[in-house]
Amino acid sequence: MAFVSSGYNPEKPMENRITDIGPRKYDEFYPPVIAKNKGKWLYHEYLQPGVLVHVAESGDEVYTVRCGGARLMSTGLIREICEIADKHCGGHVRWTTRNNVEFMVDDKSKVQPLLDDLAGRKFAGGSFKFPVGGTGAGVSNIVHTQGWIHCHTPATDASGPVKAVMDEVFADFQNHRMPAHVRVSLACCLNMCGAVHCSDIAILGYHRKPPMLDHEYLDKMCEIPLAIASCPTAAIKPAKVEIGGQKLNSVAVNNDRCMYCGNCYTMCPSMPLADTEGDGIVIMAGGKVSNRITAPKFSKVVVAFIPNEAPRWPTTAKTIKNMIEVYAADARKYERFGEWAERIGWERFFDKCKLDFSHHLIDDFRDPAYYTWRQTTQFKF
Amino acid sequence: MPTVEFGGKSFNVDEDGFIDDYKNWSEEWVQYVKQQEGIDELNDEHKKVIDVLREYYEKNGIAPMVRVLSKVTGFKLKHIYELFPSGPGKGACKMAGLPKPTGCV
Repeated sequence: MAFVSSGYNPEKPMENRITDIGPRKYDEFYPPVIAKNKGKWLYHEYLQPGVLVHVAESGDEVYTVRCGGARLMSTGLIREICEIADKHCGGHVRWTTRNNVEFMVDDKSKVQPLLDDLAGRKFAGGSFKFPVGGTGAGVSNIVHTQGWIHCHTPATDASGPVKAVMDEVFADFQNHRMPAHVRVSLACCLNMCGAVHCSDIAILGYHRKPPMLDHEYLDKMCEIPLAIASCPTAAIKPAKVEIGGQKLNSVAVNNDRCMYCGNCYTMCPSMPLADTEGDGIVIMAGGKVSNRITAPKFSKVVVAFIPNEAPRWPTTAKTIKNMIEVYAADARKYERFGEWAERIGWERFFDKCKLDFSHHLIDDFRDPAYYTWRQTTQFKF
Repeated sequence: MPTVEFGGKSFNVDEDGFIDDYKNWSEEWVQYVKQQEGIDELNDEHKKVIDVLREYYEKNGIAPMVRVLSKVTGFKLKHIYELFPSGPGKGACKMAGLPKPTGCV
């Protein structure tokens, strides 16, 4: 399409420029029943997986229907969400912190028509557009990142594995049979954008080869001291190299010290390290952010490497499904994944989940690694 | 790499309009970026920021942190934005011929 101006004048970029106005205030978009009863809610209940009711002091009720969302959405799909909101909810809708979509109605009689409407909507390929669920002790949406859609440092894709894993555990999105809720997250490199470091089960993109050095361009493209300082194991040092008879400033990487984190590539475009065969997925488990019963935990590495298997990542999906099944069968009520693993002991966890324990899982990063080793005779054979 | 012609000189630039090599910087480059960044007129303050950036880069191999730039030039961040509407990274560093800022920007 030919260029259509919005009224912005590139000759005078600062003229009529509006800045620092921030986001719209949240209460502009409240449904009336929310605005009226704000701060006066008495209790809530799960009516069925994906449907909540909140009751206010005034006796008002608000029914919430939570649907899965793919997070990466077209405006076409957003418009369809708006259309549903117009039809059932007076034009109001909200997104959750796990990127689910919530439709709210103020009367019980309006719930079933909304559920029927949502259940009838599918993509041409057959996937549900708005599967209802994600509440209570089940598996809610997967917090994930950009992957091969948009980022330049990923070691795996985000949307692809998320779709594959959610397909595998879909029944638990619409069910409350878990001992406690299971949070699954994905990050496509160990920048860990999102929640992988604090999720019950986490999928993490991982490299296994050191960066390649583009000596010819390195000094031109990069601020060399930044690349050196970006390395957590000090594997990078400045170096002079000779290319085509020219002495150039560059860096040298000590491959024995490199653990392929990719931080140097983030700082320096001339140090790419993505690799089809080398890259893959690490599975972590046992993290949580809530303070309920036990303090928040970091997730721990439990599977050192699974290759990238686009488009369905079968090994990853199967491993996660298996871990969730073992947890569901063995953990006590209210016990989160990490609480369960710590109660039975991690050696039992590996036993029960039939996961291989390799030397990769033993912490060797600086002084704190010592505290992750077992300094007691208490263990199970 | 695309090439731009300006003031009788040609420069190799990347897709964001940063120069390919610090050494290829020249006075014409400043004029070219000035046009790109929508800066009406270059005054002594612009020149001071650019001089500080180039001096610091030559000496240290990195661009200064914003606080260092502020302290050395004596310009508050707000004033640097008044001079370079795109900011110290996309505006001033580009004009000074420094490499493109990296990291999660």
